Amino acid sequence: MRRYAPLTKLILTIIISIWAILFDSPAILAGVAGLQLLLLAITRVSTTVYKGILGLVMFALMLAVMQYLFGATISLALVTGLRMLNMTLIFIIMLASTRISDITAALVKQCRIPSDYAFMFTAALRFIPDFLEESKAVREAQSCRGYSSRGNAFKRMKSYLTVVEPLVLRAVTKSETMAMSLELRGFGSQRQQASLAHVALHGRDYILISLTTLVTLALIINKLQPIGF
Amino acid sequence: MLELRQVSFAYPQFTAVRDISLTVEPGEFTAIVGKNGSGKTTLTRLMMSLLKPSHGQILLNGQDTKKLLPADLATTIGYVFQNPDRQILRDTVEQEIAYGPQQLGFSPDRQQKNVQMAMEVCGLAELAQAYPRSLSKGCKQRLAIASVLALEPQMLILDEPTSGQDATDKDKMMKLLADLNNQGLTIILVTHDMEILMQYAQRVIVLNAGNMVFDGTPNDLFMDNNPIAAWGLQVPTILHLSQKLAKYGIPATNSADRLCQSLLGPMEDKQL
Amino acid sequence: MKPAIEFNGFSYAYRQDKLALNNIQVSIPKGSFTVITGPSGAGKTTLCLAIAGAVPQYFGGSVAGNVQVNQTDTRNISMHDLALHVGSVLQDYESQLVAMTVEEEIAFGLENMGMAEHDIQERVRRVLQRVGLEGLEQREVSSLSGGQKQRLAIAGVLVLEPEIIVLDEPTSALDPQGAVQIYELLHTLNSQGVTVVVVEHDLSQVLSYAQQVLVIHEGKLLYCGTLSEVLPCMIDYPELQTAMPILWQVKLQLEEALERKFADWRSVEDAKQDIVRFIMQNKGVCRSA
Repeated sequence: MRRYAPLTKLILTIIISIWAILFDSPAILAGVAGLQLLLLAITRVSTTVYKGILGLVMFALMLAVMQYLFGATISLALVTGLRMLNMTLIFIIMLASTRISDITAALVKQCRIPSDYAFMFTAALRFIPDFLEESKAVREAQSCRGYSSRGNAFKRMKSYLTVVEPLVLRAVTKSETMAMSLELRGFGSQRQQASLAHVALHGRDYILISLTTLVTLALIINKLQPIGF
Repeated sequence: MLELRQVSFAYPQFTAVRDISLTVEPGEFTAIVGKNGSGKTTLTRLMMSLLKPSHGQILLNGQDTKKLLPADLATTIGYVFQNPDRQILRDTVEQEIAYGPQQLGFSPDRQQKNVQMAMEVCGLAELAQAYPRSLSKGCKQRLAIASVLALEPQMLILDEPTSGQDATDKDKMMKLLADLNNQGLTIILVTHDMEILMQYAQRVIVLNAGNMVFDGTPNDLFMDNNPIAAWGLQVPTILHLSQKLAKYGIPATNSADRLCQSLLGPMEDKQL
Repeated sequence: MKPAIEFNGFSYAYRQDKLALNNIQVSIPKGSFTVITGPSGAGKTTLCLAIAGAVPQYFGGSVAGNVQVNQTDTRNISMHDLALHVGSVLQDYESQLVAMTVEEEIAFGLENMGMAEHDIQERVRRVLQRVGLEGLEQREVSSLSGGQKQRLAIAGVLVLEPEIIVLDEPTSALDPQGAVQIYELLHTLNSQGVTVVVVEHDLSQVLSYAQQVLVIHEGKLLYCGTLSEVLPCMIDYPELQTAMPILWQVKLQLEEALERKFADWRSVEDAKQDIVRFIMQNKGVCRSA
């Protein structure tokens, strides 16, 4: 996956998400998810990514169980869980196999998204690990001051809310400094353009994009005029 | 009061703390020093039950802390994190300090009394209604101390509380800690500052790559032929200078005044 | 020689109510090693941000006078173009980091400069070695310790090889040996012609390197000069007294008692030599008496 251009992976992300909506058979959705896991395995990513994926799988499972409990059929519950899993998996594969600055570059130069917005998107991604770390720090601080998560769900919810305020305030100050830091490190300068050669599309990118697009088109047509699939 | 028995802690990638045994007695002022990444913070986090040892045992007043949460330790150990911004939870100094006593269900009287006491001790009485996030770094750090003092702990663990502060704030902070220690509070201080170490600590623990390589007085640390530089440390300036002057009959000291006296002393004697 | 940085009657207020900097008039020579010191909240950080153009361009606020970098008013050049000449290491080094991995973090600035990819890798490897982070290329930034993050922030700026480097408390999270290592590195760069401006509370760290010291106090430039010009004056202010390096406390105390002047004590070795000379002379005097 690392050899493909960021734009290809962005397009792939969109295409797989479309697939996830188009398919409504648990078996096919599970197949797509399996394929993605295979893709992930050959991409070689860090252990934290695997941990994140484990979390996602659990979440998808929970979602399915909840659906079932609230009266959906098993098949529908599975479809919902798998759809969620498929969409998030491809997103994670894209992130794990692409440098964030390349995604920004692709968004700006190839998708013509104004650089400020593109950077907002990628900075948000950059914030995720920070955010997790910060929320852990705040919870630790609370716990060192006598807060304990033992007790009923209401009490837990209430104290969880108290994490939010310090977290948001920290995030705001931090993002301000970060935005300044970007400028101070030459982001937005004209010379940047020269460095975009490595996000350009190659033969293999075109092949992958056209193939997956064709499949998607076929699926959509099939959906509109069901001639047995 | 705090006893570590062969404590180790391993992260997935590496072992941060290796086979450490030590006992901290009530009333001690202990400094933990060592290079970046030598395991200092991990060690203090283990003490506070923020991490659980991979091996070994930690006893607090004779009780194994394995099954305890940091919250259970909060009335015994006050833990002050390195970054004061990350521990601010409320919107005024007074509320911030009251957070702990409220969580632990102290009576309103006791809450109020403790908050007042903590503010006065830490020199924050005039800032009771101030917004904690806009305080200076030195004030924020003292607020963090006040916030744990309100829980009436027997011990304070502080992770580099003076880093990034100017000389005046640093002085204030250290005088505060020395006062608290004089009143019987046990202090464990993680620091990079060799002058603070010499001036305030009775005992120094040096960590290097997760191992405890030294446990003794600050004087012994710098007097004996220890590999100070390899441990990421530095001999305090005046001590270093007085050691270099040893062959001219100048006694070893880390006090600027005393060094001056011993330099000027013989001359004044002769002049008399 | 023309100055690298020049403050011309520069005043600045973030908001209307209070001046952060008040009529700063100073020039920082090309190739010098300048140390800015003063109590917390005196305006040191604002001074750094003004050199980088972030004050006033990023923060807004009101300005009087101007700041010139290489004879260009910092308001007439965009922050990112100014960044090609001035590298800044912020006090909040954690928020300065913008990428996911160590390698990307350092490459970020180089890519913004338009450097080709194969040149980037070699530069990344070299700068990591210089700051003592070799082998950590693939580590996620969020998994680094405070000290490592601080080194990374410094590396991300050094790799751009700017003519001027401004560092706001660059060693606050480092162990003593690590701090020495960073200052030695800055000293080497300085001797290769780079202008270094550094904010430091602990003057004893920079005694060996400082050529010019600026003391900022309540937004004003209190003193500007060499160590021996500036340090003795600091006694006059209670907030600054405490910041006197302990080595110079001895020097000034001895000088006063003996009514003589010693050389600039830039290291313990300097002090030792001066004191030994004094002890020897003294012995001689005693014998002849």
